[in-house]
Amino acid sequence: MIRSFRLTSLLSAAKPLRSFACSSSPARVAPPCASFAEEKSSPPPNSLSITPPKTPLFLTKPSHAAPLSEVWKWHDWAKDLASSVDNSSTKAEDSLDSILLLRELKWLIEDSIEADHPVITGTEVTYDGEKSVKLRASLEELYDLWRQRIEKRRPFQYVVGCEHWRDLVLCVEEGVLIPRPETELIVDMVEKVVTRDEWFKRGTWADLGTGSGAIAIGVARVLGGCGRVVATDLSPVAIAVAGNNVKRYGLEGVIEVREGSWFEPLKELEGKLVGLVSNPPYIPSDDIPGLQAEVGRHEPKLALDGGVDGTDSLLHLCDGASRMLTSGGFFAFETNGEKQSKMIVDYMTVDLKNSFSDVKIVSDFAGICRFVTGFRL
Amino acid sequence: MSSLIINRSRSRAVLLWKTHVIKIASIFSHAFADSDSASGFSSDSARSFKTTSSGFGSRKISNLAFSRSNFVSTTRPLSSEAVHVASTCDRLTVERIIANQWPILDENESDWKSHAAAIAQSIQVIKRRLQWKKLLVRLRMLSVELNKPHLWDDPTHAGKISREHGSLTGKMKGVMTFERELLEHIDMLKLAKEEKDSELESETMSALMEMRRVSKEKELEALLSAENDHCSCYIEVQAGAGGTESNDWASMVMDMYKTWAQRRKFSVAVVDEMPGEMAGIKRATIKVNGEYAYGYAKAEVGVHRLVRISPFDSGKRRHTSFAAVAVIPILGDGSTRVQINDSDLRIERFRSGGAGGQHANTTDSAVRIIHIPTGITATCQNERSQHMNKASAMAVLQSRLDQLEMARQTAMNAQHTQSLTEISWGNQIRTYVLHPYRMVKDLRTNYEVSDPDSVLEGDLDGFILSFLSSSLDKGDDEN
Repeated sequence: MIRSFRLTSLLSAAKPLRSFACSSSPARVAPPCASFAEEKSSPPPNSLSITPPKTPLFLTKPSHAAPLSEVWKWHDWAKDLASSVDNSSTKAEDSLDSILLLRELKWLIEDSIEADHPVITGTEVTYDGEKSVKLRASLEELYDLWRQRIEKRRPFQYVVGCEHWRDLVLCVEEGVLIPRPETELIVDMVEKVVTRDEWFKRGTWADLGTGSGAIAIGVARVLGGCGRVVATDLSPVAIAVAGNNVKRYGLEGVIEVREGSWFEPLKELEGKLVGLVSNPPYIPSDDIPGLQAEVGRHEPKLALDGGVDGTDSLLHLCDGASRMLTSGGFFAFETNGEKQSKMIVDYMTVDLKNSFSDVKIVSDFAGICRFVTGFRL
Repeated sequence: MSSLIINRSRSRAVLLWKTHVIKIASIFSHAFADSDSASGFSSDSARSFKTTSSGFGSRKISNLAFSRSNFVSTTRPLSSEAVHVASTCDRLTVERIIANQWPILDENESDWKSHAAAIAQSIQVIKRRLQWKKLLVRLRMLSVELNKPHLWDDPTHAGKISREHGSLTGKMKGVMTFERELLEHIDMLKLAKEEKDSELESETMSALMEMRRVSKEKELEALLSAENDHCSCYIEVQAGAGGTESNDWASMVMDMYKTWAQRRKFSVAVVDEMPGEMAGIKRATIKVNGEYAYGYAKAEVGVHRLVRISPFDSGKRRHTSFAAVAVIPILGDGSTRVQINDSDLRIERFRSGGAGGQHANTTDSAVRIIHIPTGITATCQNERSQHMNKASAMAVLQSRLDQLEMARQTAMNAQHTQSLTEISWGNQIRTYVLHPYRMVKDLRTNYEVSDPDSVLEGDLDGFILSFLSSSLDKGDDEN
């Protein structure tokens, strides 16, 4: 059977007809309880108590196969589901956006189908519907994953098990904060500092509350192999995930992942760090219940809740920075926004007088006062 | 391609040496004395012919007695102009072949005159497309420039000059070699006939047939000989006024280019896409990667008009919609590119308000980069990280600024360097009619096709090639 490539746009012009045609597809879906992720990563029998990090979809072996026509059916169903999400929610940040969902669907296809995904997205000239394609998850799992995304509001990054961040692809899973685009700028700032002064390249950096290891890996890569980075986290899941990401980028020799709270695992480095970076939990506790569903329902509170006014961890970091950084050392912290940034700058320049120089607020690309940076005197 | 010709001419030369010990002399001027084709030939008995511009048409060259000694010579007119006219031993030149108006028969007909006439005609077309006279003038200017003693004081300028000189010399040599090869084959064929060497005759005949085939390819190549034609490019489509109907049309146009590019084995990546409210796109940018992507796609610049019964009109009325297309070359590393200062840039991220940071989990990391001095912007949202979106938007911005600079600096074919905002909606290049009749017609060339579906499915080469050839082939005085 040869189908015309124009299907995509034809279908989008005739939406009602399509949803009618596809209404039968969901019936063939596996029961929602089938947990794909757990099946995938069943640990080897001799493994210890700590569960190893999950394998993201794009690294899974393409051990499933399905006829293209069936994959198409899934794709149409998923597209329909994405197009029909309710955009009426009054809180803009807490509603699903069809356009974004369609883009995510494209990426889900990229991650789950081996090689020639244009076949699915409908840009290929002609193709054979009977042809079999290799999948990294079974069709049933794909139906289930997309349902989780839309009905359970499971973050897309947990669905595919990875987040593209800077030029990295980081494995993420429940229990680890998904690194945010804003946080990429911390690495940009570090890059600027180390290009200006080679001294920073040779010293030891610390990334506290590393989560997936994103900042630590980003920093290690701009150090260019000379210095080293110590990444800490309180959560064992984060430690496992970060360790795995470090390994994936071959940075075991540069980054050391240590389990523990903030500066605790760094005792021997007191006064020796040339750089200190962190994206600590900074959301005020009262804001936690009202968070966007993807965040509030799925991401770890430990990585989000910053206490009454959100600055508990940040203030702790400020105190630690004065103790841990060597003279001339650089720090960059992410904050909740203007109010918090100003508070931190205040604290560092007044309460911790004569400890820091050049303390300033840096905005993210959305224009929000996002970071506080400076140097140890 | 030129190496292919050289190889072929070498093997033929060996053949010639084996079967007939005949001396062929080639006289090349300093500029064209490429050792590849001259080596192996002794020039001690060389004779040069002076070509005169008068009266060659009246001469019955084919009836001239065939002389025992064969020569293919390249003669230099007394004026010592850089134009070298190759001819056979009996003074047959490409121009004379054309003047003879030998009938061009089917390729399978074993008639050397037919082949020769077809090849000569192709050579003429190629020269016209390369703007031969201008090319020679430019080449002379560049040679003068290259010989200036302090040229390399400005390495950027010098690099540009020597690159252009190299590229033009290559093109010129290619044509000259091809021309010479044709005449050599003709000599060979006549010789074979005279010697009744049927093996050599059929060998030469098939060589001529092969040349005829190659000449058609060369005609096409010559269409894409402008400076940046070999580059990859961005194609941008913007919907005209009219909401959903024209947004849908814009996305149809974009799909047309995506499939066209894929058929041509170019790789396609969506860089920027602003969807329409109901359907289609308001505007979109794709990156088309591959050799000569720009050379082909530049033919599509302008406004594309659609006439159809709108599927979005419940009254089933006929609608006319417009979509504007712009094409931007992505200059290679060798080219001089505009320097962008970081301090001239403002980088913005689209958000629907909100606190951002840890509060928000979104896969949307689109960025817009604004070049403050020019007001030029670039957007990318299809990458999976903000960093990559930024890099991709920077690349678009760079190309837009390069394009602006090119338009400013040179008097390049203005219509190809227009940016999307400059394309006037009056500048219609093509109409696609789906109702009441079915036709796609190019308003520049009058090229038309009665099957709009095939065109919308990316079958655009007919339109592109007819436009490229018409824009280069007009004005016979060029040659």
